[in-house]
Amino acid sequence: MRAIEYIFWLAIAIVAAVCLGGVALYRGEHINSIWLVLAAACTYATAYRFYGKWLATRVAVLDDRRATPAERLRNGHDFEPTNRWIVFGHHFAAIAGPGPLVGPVLAAQFGYLPGTLWIVIGAVLGGAVQDFIVLFASIRRDGKSLGQMAREEIGKLSGATALVTVLLIMVILLAVIALVVVNALRGSPWGTFTIAATMPIAIFMGVYLRFWRPGKVLECSAMGCVLVVAAIFAGRAVAESATLAPWFTLGGSTLALAIIVYGFFASALPVWLLLAPRDYLSTFVKLGVVTMLAAGVLLVRPELQLPALSRFADGSGPVFAGKIFPFCFITIACGAISGFHSLIASGTTPKMIAKESHARGVGYGSMLLESFVALMAMIAASSLTPGVYFAVNSPAGVVGAAPEAAVATISGWGFPVSVADMSSLARDVGERNLFGRTGGAPSLALGMAHIFARTGGGRVLLGFWYHFAIMFEALFILTIIDAGTRVGRFMLQDLLGAVWKPLGRTSWMPGVILTSGLIVSAWGYFLVQGVRDPLGGINSLWPMFGIANQLLAAIALCLATTILLKTHGLKYLWITCVPLVWVVTVTFTAGAQKLFSGVPAIGFWAQAEKLSASLRAGQVADAAVTRALIFNARLDAVVCGALMVLVAVILLDSLRAWTGILRHTRESTLSETPFVASQMGAEEA
Amino acid sequence: MKHWRRFRKVVVGLLRELADESAYDRHLKAHGREACGAEWRRFSDERLRQKYSRVKCC
Repeated sequence: MRAIEYIFWLAIAIVAAVCLGGVALYRGEHINSIWLVLAAACTYATAYRFYGKWLATRVAVLDDRRATPAERLRNGHDFEPTNRWIVFGHHFAAIAGPGPLVGPVLAAQFGYLPGTLWIVIGAVLGGAVQDFIVLFASIRRDGKSLGQMAREEIGKLSGATALVTVLLIMVILLAVIALVVVNALRGSPWGTFTIAATMPIAIFMGVYLRFWRPGKVLECSAMGCVLVVAAIFAGRAVAESATLAPWFTLGGSTLALAIIVYGFFASALPVWLLLAPRDYLSTFVKLGVVTMLAAGVLLVRPELQLPALSRFADGSGPVFAGKIFPFCFITIACGAISGFHSLIASGTTPKMIAKESHARGVGYGSMLLESFVALMAMIAASSLTPGVYFAVNSPAGVVGAAPEAAVATISGWGFPVSVADMSSLARDVGERNLFGRTGGAPSLALGMAHIFARTGGGRVLLGFWYHFAIMFEALFILTIIDAGTRVGRFMLQDLLGAVWKPLGRTSWMPGVILTSGLIVSAWGYFLVQGVRDPLGGINSLWPMFGIANQLLAAIALCLATTILLKTHGLKYLWITCVPLVWVVTVTFTAGAQKLFSGVPAIGFWAQAEKLSASLRAGQVADAAVTRALIFNARLDAVVCGALMVLVAVILLDSLRAWTGILRHTRESTLSETPFVASQMGAEEA
Repeated sequence: MKHWRRFRKVVVGLLRELADESAYDRHLKAHGREACGAEWRRFSDERLRQKYSRVKCC
């Protein structure tokens, strides 16, 4: 490295250190978000240049002379050597979901500092490492999936356990993101109309693509985008119409039922009709809005109104109960480390990599960009005044159902807010009420709307931008729901096919209907449970989703550790062991607290006990509802316990494998495909 | 100007890849077929079947 380069990177590292230090230690009135942006950008750049490069050259020993599966197995379909930037964008589009947007918004109840530090440090040392090593491992194994690699490298038990764990996680994931949509649309005719309109728009796109202009996906998606924006404008007219507004003003239970029915049909209908066109549309909208948000934050540079560290670090938070450790680290999963990414890194992406050296940019680099998106969400949420943030995100069961009671409670916490402020804000964004809109989506939409409005349009367009943000969040959440239900159906058909063969056939309609119904019922049950939960549902479901997602990360890191152990012995084991130990500690602590904590707002058993005691004492308004709540709390405990047991099985199986390798009682050869020299020139890649 | 052209090429390439249009072009080339409605439906059915048997990220 030349002297000028040394000086350049030293300067970047110093800026990163100064900004991170400034963010961590500054306790003045308000801090500008540009400090967070600079701290993160310089840390990512330094990490990518040095740690990422070191991982690629010394640990993975990427070799461009070796033909990748994309080259060797090229079929023009899945396996296709692709330009590195295109793979980067493709991979990023696949890993960027609602998680990195919603998680940081919820974790902002602790203040912006804990979440920001976790997003930046977690991504650099954990998430990006996991994504890169799993991607590298899959490239060296013909693009095999996480489950297949776990079976080959660790053992059959781990492979089978990983499959069941993924199915269970899918159920929780679909329920919790559906709950986010329900809470965003509850009592909002404008939002509900806009989202409902995306369905006929998607069907129109499907028919257009299938019969009128086959193959013209970009042209069709551009039309879809224009129609969706038109639907947002039309939504305002619907909300203001005395005749139409009641049709689209729906309660939580009705919305939940609508989403469940939608999930069933989307899973059973031909994919070209609804799912695929909607997916194309949501991918483009997602990339566009994420770019707009980043540009907006850079242009507006909003001041952070939330404190660096709030009083709720002690675990008494209204958004969800529990202390910073461990709950901040499971609430923000996708922005720091996410097990789900390992499924993508061992899915389509390894089949598109033209040269092994591209894996650093795609695997490590994409995760850093995802982390940056999470930071944008944290900034958007933290730019709201604390009173507004807590009024929107606190459930009625905590702060009171009446607006006067809610503002009194929230102001009593030291975050002043008034009913008049909230009413004025609701009017500005075209909503009737913004109290108790839990789930993170409405507060993120508020933050985004303020940022977008300041770049153009001002207060006049606040309502449009708010509903634009709601549409963006709901659109791709619904795409995940219908695609996830379909995937869950396939997984279930795989399992049931072993019991009775016809059930395994994906073209046999009774089997399709039965398995679609079972999957929809599973996540639908948890969704309805969340909607009826007096604490808002997010309090119990989001931590469970976070635990599940991080446990999947533990599986991926177990695989990565096994591969490093087989390749280098103990030498580089710390690279994956440090994040693995952290993730396991965090998730098992969180899981244990959700199971056994004596605080009813945290522990499922304690919650069930408290409700049972109230029931016995005759202090409940509705005995049947309370019995259902007791059952749900116990069910949540069982699911949480099952997840922990499943991952404990994989951990123990991995430990057994590692001990065998170190004692030389177990074969330590890797299941890599043999070396084949690449015939592809640098210019082709 | 050269950088801008390269940037544009990558962006268009990415959009076409995300839209499965590049994959369709490759499919036509690999099978020596002409673009038509029936061919798109054949390609799209297989492509979407594979695409939606994989987990989507959260």
